[in-house]
Amino acid sequence: MTAAGLEGAALTERGYSEPTGWRRFVRDAENLGVTLALLAMMLLPVVESVLRKTLHTGISGATTIVQHFTLIVGMLGGAIAAREGRLLALSALTSVMRGRVKLAATIFSHALAAAVSIFLCVAGWLFVRSEIPTGAVIAYGFRTWWVELLIPVGFGVIAARLWWHATKTWRGRVATLVLIAAFVALAVWSPLPPERMRWPALGVLLVATVLGAPVFTTLGGAALILFWSEGSAIAAVPLTQYSLVVNPSLPTVPLFTLAGYFLAEGGASKRLVRVFDALFGMIRGGPAIVTALVCAFFTSFTGGSGVTILALGGVLMPVLVAAKYPERNALGLLTGAGSLGILFPPCLPLILYAIIASQAKAAVTIEQMFLGGILPGFLLVGLTIWWGVASGPKLEATQKRFDFREARAAIWAAKWELLLPVVALVALFGGFATPVEASAVTALYAFIIETFVYRDLKLVGGRTAARPPGKTVVETVTDCGLLVGGVLLILGVALGFTQYLVDAQIPDQAVAWATATIHSKWLFLLGLNVVLLFVGGLVEIYAAIVVVVPLLVPLGMAFGIDPIHLGIIFLANMELGFLAPPVGLNLLLASYRFDKPLISVMRAVLPMLLVLFLGVLLITYFSPLTTWLPHLIMRR
Amino acid sequence: PKVKLATLVPKGTSYHQILLEMGEKWRHAPEGGAHLIIYTDGTMGGEADMVRRMRIGQLQAAMLTVGGLAEIDPSVKCLQNIPMAFRSFAELDYVSAKLRPLFEKKFLEKGYVILFWGDAGWVRFFSREPAARPEDFKKMKMFVGAGDTQTSDIMKSLGYQPVPLEAMDILPSLQTGLIDAAPSTPFYALAGQFYGPAPYMLKINWVPLVGGTVIVKKVWDALPAETRAAMLQAAHEASDQIKVRSRVENDEALAAMVKRGLQVHEPTPAELAEWAQFCESVYPSIRGHIVPADMFDEVMRLLKEYRDAKH
Ligand code: NA
Ligand code: NA
Repeated sequence: MTAAGLEGAALTERGYSEPTGWRRFVRDAENLGVTLALLAMMLLPVVESVLRKTLHTGISGATTIVQHFTLIVGMLGGAIAAREGRLLALSALTSVMRGRVKLAATIFSHALAAAVSIFLCVAGWLFVRSEIPTGAVIAYGFRTWWVELLIPVGFGVIAARLWWHATKTWRGRVATLVLIAAFVALAVWSPLPPERMRWPALGVLLVATVLGAPVFTTLGGAALILFWSEGSAIAAVPLTQYSLVVNPSLPTVPLFTLAGYFLAEGGASKRLVRVFDALFGMIRGGPAIVTALVCAFFTSFTGGSGVTILALGGVLMPVLVAAKYPERNALGLLTGAGSLGILFPPCLPLILYAIIASQAKAAVTIEQMFLGGILPGFLLVGLTIWWGVASGPKLEATQKRFDFREARAAIWAAKWELLLPVVALVALFGGFATPVEASAVTALYAFIIETFVYRDLKLVGGRTAARPPGKTVVETVTDCGLLVGGVLLILGVALGFTQYLVDAQIPDQAVAWATATIHSKWLFLLGLNVVLLFVGGLVEIYAAIVVVVPLLVPLGMAFGIDPIHLGIIFLANMELGFLAPPVGLNLLLASYRFDKPLISVMRAVLPMLLVLFLGVLLITYFSPLTTWLPHLIMRR
Repeated sequence: PKVKLATLVPKGTSYHQILLEMGEKWRHAPEGGAHLIIYTDGTMGGEADMVRRMRIGQLQAAMLTVGGLAEIDPSVKCLQNIPMAFRSFAELDYVSAKLRPLFEKKFLEKGYVILFWGDAGWVRFFSREPAARPEDFKKMKMFVGAGDTQTSDIMKSLGYQPVPLEAMDILPSLQTGLIDAAPSTPFYALAGQFYGPAPYMLKINWVPLVGGTVIVKKVWDALPAETRAAMLQAAHEASDQIKVRSRVENDEALAAMVKRGLQVHEPTPAELAEWAQFCESVYPSIRGHIVPADMFDEVMRLLKEYRDAKH
């Protein structure tokens, strides 16, 4: 499955045919389980926070319980993603293959991915086994290791599903199984000493990645190979995954994503487009302004994971075409605008950077990153609008005029959704709530408005013909759990890979090398831009944050760069990376969503890429743009 | 052999320097010595993670505070989790010297050798508004460690408003007003810049921050006896240096913060009496719940012994 597969299916139909019998029961149980876990995550912090403020009491151990729900959502969501064939993979090479070549490539990549999952399962069990004697308890006598057991179980299930879905024939499945057994045997009865197996094993992993193995197997496999070939403990990989997933700040990731999913499935896009169209539709370049603003608003909640292009592409393309935008420019604009907004609160990459950077001991918080991203975010939105207006039709096609009553009506209709960012930010900066509580309140608010006010989300479905269109809550939350699970899987094993770098003291060596070689802060920033542009075009954003940031933070500190500024530079570059060949996610998604060849999407987006690059340079070399606001608000 | 040691201590601090010097001595210990690799700044995760990494064999040693040591054996909590038990470092030194053989035995049973002990100053209260009496903190939202459910429950039952947070969230939470007060040593308050949004410090000896350095027993036992003797010698030298340095550094940190506007409140005898009474009233919920009952009683017994001998 390609990246488009994962993201796209979140908003379209499932990847596989309807199962029957026990497999249908398992499917329904998993969906219900992930839904209940996510809803509990949403409600617990809100209840705890209300009890704390009103009755000066609370739920004993609420934070710890919520943290472990993240693990449940993560592993269950990962297993569901594997079930639906929607584990994120970055190579789309098999989509241009045919016949036997394609079959062989698929079997090879799936077999290796399954073998890696088996070893992750084994490593997970080694970790759990080390935890059992401690007798640690989450709350109310519930043992920690009971939840931790989900790590090996989850990887075991993923391995089985990767094997099952490799082909549709029994002969193919037998062939895949033999190949899996061969990979496992090769690692267990290694013909060479482990340290000499390192490069050949990494080479095989690279081939499987190019042939379409999921991202988590690349990173997890690399981490396992590196620890193993050094004779070190492979259980370090699942241990690190566990400690990331139960990080007290991490529940913000599924919860803000959940808010985004409620919006996306609740039909917010049409109401938001109406608002911005009523406000800006009549001025020259109005449709471009509408596109940039709606995309930025949407992405800030959906996490820049590409949901924006898929959810809004179908709504905005007709607006641009109706306004006589040349198709190529419209395509470029939409693709480029698809990741606008990752610098605005409460976007996930900002949160994740704060978590990972502070683990690397940079003094930076989620709140600071939220404030730091606002002005650079507006700069990129402004540049996009500027280019959109400049590349739009010179003569206004329609003679629309500003209609006060329509504007008022549109705003009134969308008022609850327009208030969403206000809810999130007031909760966070008003001293009312922790980041986790703020994200839970935001998700609950989105749930209530879409289900009970707009009634676009159905509480219960039932598969009858009379059922109105629109997804049910369970379907929406399951989709969110699937996406979160897929992302957490990548994040967890990516941090395992990072753990190897830390273990091998590579960040220290990088700092020593860089400070000895580069003597100017400006030269360092220039080098940083070049490297990050390359990274952004090659690596998935979440994995990039987890793997690259721990290397970057000590370098940034050595060159005296404010960690907030460093984070925004990094994320702005990653935003460009969404548009950069060869694996820019937006390129794949736009090609998928608008049914255009990848190469013509690349050509269409090139001017946008250059314009945004200008913005990234401004962000990099003019630091007050980033640091002024957080320093102003967070000083006392 | 390689000994990978993790700690939360920041790189370049005197603590790190002392560990580096110990590592140098370890390298030159007899029979090939040991190669010490130090991971500072919590790059190996928090203290609970460090203990986990020792269990799976990724790390061989760690320099921990009582929070991390208690993940191995909870007995050590009696040094750091009974508020205002110790009135001075002299009392702490007396009690911990008496208890060391017991701790070391318990840790050996769990598979760890304690190489040396240290302490890192008194934990005091930093707050956004002035506060002197136990009652003053009831109107404040107070930091409590995210995993510390027991302390949180006790505080709630006494009418306080604990807000469970990660240590990294103290500074922004003081800034936004999510919390109004946090306990901290002066050294950590300076490093974490708490004194900015929370410019009032109540100078009570709430609890001492106590730490210890452990190595996995299996790794330790595999070393030749001569090597171990030399390594232990170096560890004890490091311990003495850390003790001296940490007490000086906390005084220096306090002076630096006062220069930048920190207001220090020295409690009056009447206020101190109120605090003592408050702590006495909390002890029943700590004894047997947070601190193992036998260890709690032993600390109290030793303190009485010390105080009786002095008078
Ligand atoms: Na953290
Ligand atoms: Na780290």
